Amino acid sequence: MAGVYLSYPFCRQKCTYCNFASGVSTRQAERDYLAALLEEIRAHAWQWRPETVYLGGGSPDRIEPEALETLLAGIPGRPWREATIEAAPGEITPEKAQAWRRAGIRRASLGVQSFVRSEIARTGRRHTAEQVAADVATLRASGIRSINIDLIAGLPGQSIESWRESLDWVERLDAGHVSVYMLEVDEDSRLGREILRGGSRFGAPETPDEDLIPELYELAVERLERAGFAHYEISNFARPGEESLHNLKYWRLEPYAGFGADAHSFDGVQRIRNVESAAEYIERIRQGRSPVAEQEPARLDEESLFLGLRLLEGVRLPPELRRRYEAPIRRFVETGLLEFRGEALRLTRRGVLLSNEVFQEFIQI
Amino acid sequence: MDPSRIRNFSIIAHIDHGKSTLADRLLEATGALSEREMTEQVLDSMDLERERGITIKAHAVRLNYMAEDGQTYQLNLIDTPGHVDFTYEVARSLQACEAALLVIDATQGVEAQTLANTYLALHHNLEIIPVINKIDLPAAEPERIRQQIEEVIGLDGAGALEVSAKQGIGIHEVLEAIVHRAPPPRGNPEGPLRALIFDSWYDPYRGVITLLRVVDGTIRVGQKIRLMAHNKSFEVEGLGYQSPKRVPCEELTAGEVGYMFANIKTVSDARIGDTVTDDLDPAPEALPGFEEIKPMVFAGLYPVESHQHGELREALEKLRLNDSSFSFEPESSAALGFGFRCGFLGLLHLEIVQERLEREFGLDLITTAPGVRYRVHTRGGEVIEVDNPTKFPSAAEIESVEEPIIEATVITRDEYLGEILKLLEEKRGVQKKFEYLGAGRVMLTYELPLNEIVLDFYDRLKSASRGYASLDYHLAGYRTAPMVKLDVLVAGEPVDALSIIVHRDFAYERGKELIGRLRKLIPRQMFEVALQAAIGSRVIARETIPAMRKNVLAKCYGGDVTRKRKLLEKQKEGKRRLKRIGRVDIPQEAFLSVLKVGAED
Repeated sequence: MAGVYLSYPFCRQKCTYCNFASGVSTRQAERDYLAALLEEIRAHAWQWRPETVYLGGGSPDRIEPEALETLLAGIPGRPWREATIEAAPGEITPEKAQAWRRAGIRRASLGVQSFVRSEIARTGRRHTAEQVAADVATLRASGIRSINIDLIAGLPGQSIESWRESLDWVERLDAGHVSVYMLEVDEDSRLGREILRGGSRFGAPETPDEDLIPELYELAVERLERAGFAHYEISNFARPGEESLHNLKYWRLEPYAGFGADAHSFDGVQRIRNVESAAEYIERIRQGRSPVAEQEPARLDEESLFLGLRLLEGVRLPPELRRRYEAPIRRFVETGLLEFRGEALRLTRRGVLLSNEVFQEFIQI
Repeated sequence: MDPSRIRNFSIIAHIDHGKSTLADRLLEATGALSEREMTEQVLDSMDLERERGITIKAHAVRLNYMAEDGQTYQLNLIDTPGHVDFTYEVARSLQACEAALLVIDATQGVEAQTLANTYLALHHNLEIIPVINKIDLPAAEPERIRQQIEEVIGLDGAGALEVSAKQGIGIHEVLEAIVHRAPPPRGNPEGPLRALIFDSWYDPYRGVITLLRVVDGTIRVGQKIRLMAHNKSFEVEGLGYQSPKRVPCEELTAGEVGYMFANIKTVSDARIGDTVTDDLDPAPEALPGFEEIKPMVFAGLYPVESHQHGELREALEKLRLNDSSFSFEPESSAALGFGFRCGFLGLLHLEIVQERLEREFGLDLITTAPGVRYRVHTRGGEVIEVDNPTKFPSAAEIESVEEPIIEATVITRDEYLGEILKLLEEKRGVQKKFEYLGAGRVMLTYELPLNEIVLDFYDRLKSASRGYASLDYHLAGYRTAPMVKLDVLVAGEPVDALSIIVHRDFAYERGKELIGRLRKLIPRQMFEVALQAAIGSRVIARETIPAMRKNVLAKCYGGDVTRKRKLLEKQKEGKRRLKRIGRVDIPQEAFLSVLKVGAED
């Protein structure tokens, strides 16, 4: 069964840690984009009936309720098994939440990142812990009961103590799903660039180091597991039955159709990427051209490993793959990064943190 | 040309005292070049020479000067290299002259290098004409300089000319002084040919081109000649002189200076200092001063990309066509692959060769720590010369080690004396002389191990004196010293490229510094990695690189599998460029930074 991803790459502000192709733009650009997005959806020839819908970005919570209804009305299969909207905390009104519910949304993913005021302030986000609590209540009251909370381990100024505070809040709010991402330092985010160049903006000098970040992560794993969450994917934790069905499709190599700028699709054979820039996307749709920037055949064997192994349940390798990768698998089992649980090959606790070292062995360059 | 109308002279100056500018003015004033043709520093033609403001190769330019006495004189300006690494070449260039202009900066005064070259010139009986340059500057103190010329050098200060090469002041007086104070060339115009080679280089069309000073007799196109050092015969194919463009001619007579090509295939057949004579009527004796000069500083040169090994060999061969003073032989390193052990006259020479290889041949190089050649006396009674740490015998086989010693002259101001004496002390120097030169200037003469100079001495001296110290040195012999081989081990495996030979008393400090730097440069591995510095089997310093804690990608956002794959590919590709030592992957950059001399934190 297939999923649908809608990309809405606009935000109220650009967060310092953000390394996506999203950002701040004019309201007019946002309107033009929505029109283009609608056009792309309308023109799509549906080969399957979608099971899940995911509105990501960006901040799709900025979309006006009527426009959102129009967008979602164009996607077959409503009511879907799962329909998620990503939302920035502090902006959710009861009217909005109710409109989402009416449009078929059943799940909300909140970009909280931290519940600690000083940490939030430096990311550029503007919410407080109390506002997040109010948002969660609003969503639940409107019938959106599945809530995910995004956290980042490694924000400037973070410590074991402050991290505990954020984890406390997750439990207090009784969210059903938590994503814990470790900060990625790269040229694509403002904070990353600042750290790389040794500057002092955005709290860069207080960014936790290579040793503290994994410690924070492991603390989260421990706390969340004790609180009844299953650690089902490297960065994802869920109470029973609350796993993200949409995201599972990525790791299980199930097909999905992506719409919008920098959206990705997988039809079971090809990996397809739309153009990254929203302006170019709008332009192309207006001219009646395809928004596809690139497509290439999926390499399913390799992907089944470097995506499948992200799931903590592991992968069941067909005998052919097991033979092909016999040597690296043996080596990683010996060094304690991989293990067999029954027929399934999976990452160990240590292997999770060093997963790229493992995955590299399974791709050919 | 009648020798009485020839004047051969060179210019001696400390770096930046204005030698090249003065040379340019002389060319301009004699009409050798129009003002329009002048690019700055016409004579320093190599890019490197212009950038560094130093002369690497010698030049000889003929100027025709109509003097006040109404006669036209042939003035040959022989420009010499000006650095301690090239003392031998300087000596040969001076030998081709009868006089030297000694250029002294009117604001700086006499420096060690000026002094060394002046002594060299006096040694060859050259008439010295002091020129006080930059007199247009507000800080110029010509009177103080005159006094220094008398007190420090022992020349007549009253005869010093006041010049501003930049402003063109006093140039005419310089030309007149050359005519009247420089002696005409001595030598026998009728005798059997003797010509001194004072430079040579390789030209792809003509073979080796040599610069000559004819001392006795005449050399003619078509003449059969003999190079006396190796007794090899050639036929003169072309003669000429630079003015400063090349002007061909049929013959060069006694006293004249010019170039020659004779289908000589390699510069090692036409070495600087060699004597050219007639093959059929050879002179009984060669001109004095010829020496086979030997490299003093050694380092391994390795291509960063191993497939460039062949190109490096070709480049070295080509460079050697032009420079017989450096040597190379193949060597291999477990850490760096295949490369060459190269010998140089000194550190500047090393830098020049390295830079030319990179610039002119497009090579990317790793240079191992420069070292010197030791004489190792083994227990078995043998004496072996070792210039490569990996070939240093084990402690058990060594009876004693002798290291090369230099005599160094440092001139500085007394306010920096404290720092400099401390530095010389630290570098195991032994004081030989301590002289006040007047006006707050001091000349120190020290014996120092050459090994200590090649490390970071220049930079340290410069910073200790804020640039107000000059250095000159020459090899002064060998001395026994407790030298040991220091190895660096990564996860228990010695890294041959990082081994150095060091004085026992400095081993701990150097070892600690080396592995401290490595610790910061080697990325974390999947396991803990021990870094050790060891003498033989004794570990003297240790550091640990903790195991890698994380390498994980957070997201696969919105199903972007391609980005994820690309990141993994990039990481995997990055690993390929690592050098594997035992179980540890070390980036090339780690070697580069560790090997960089004096790269302190």
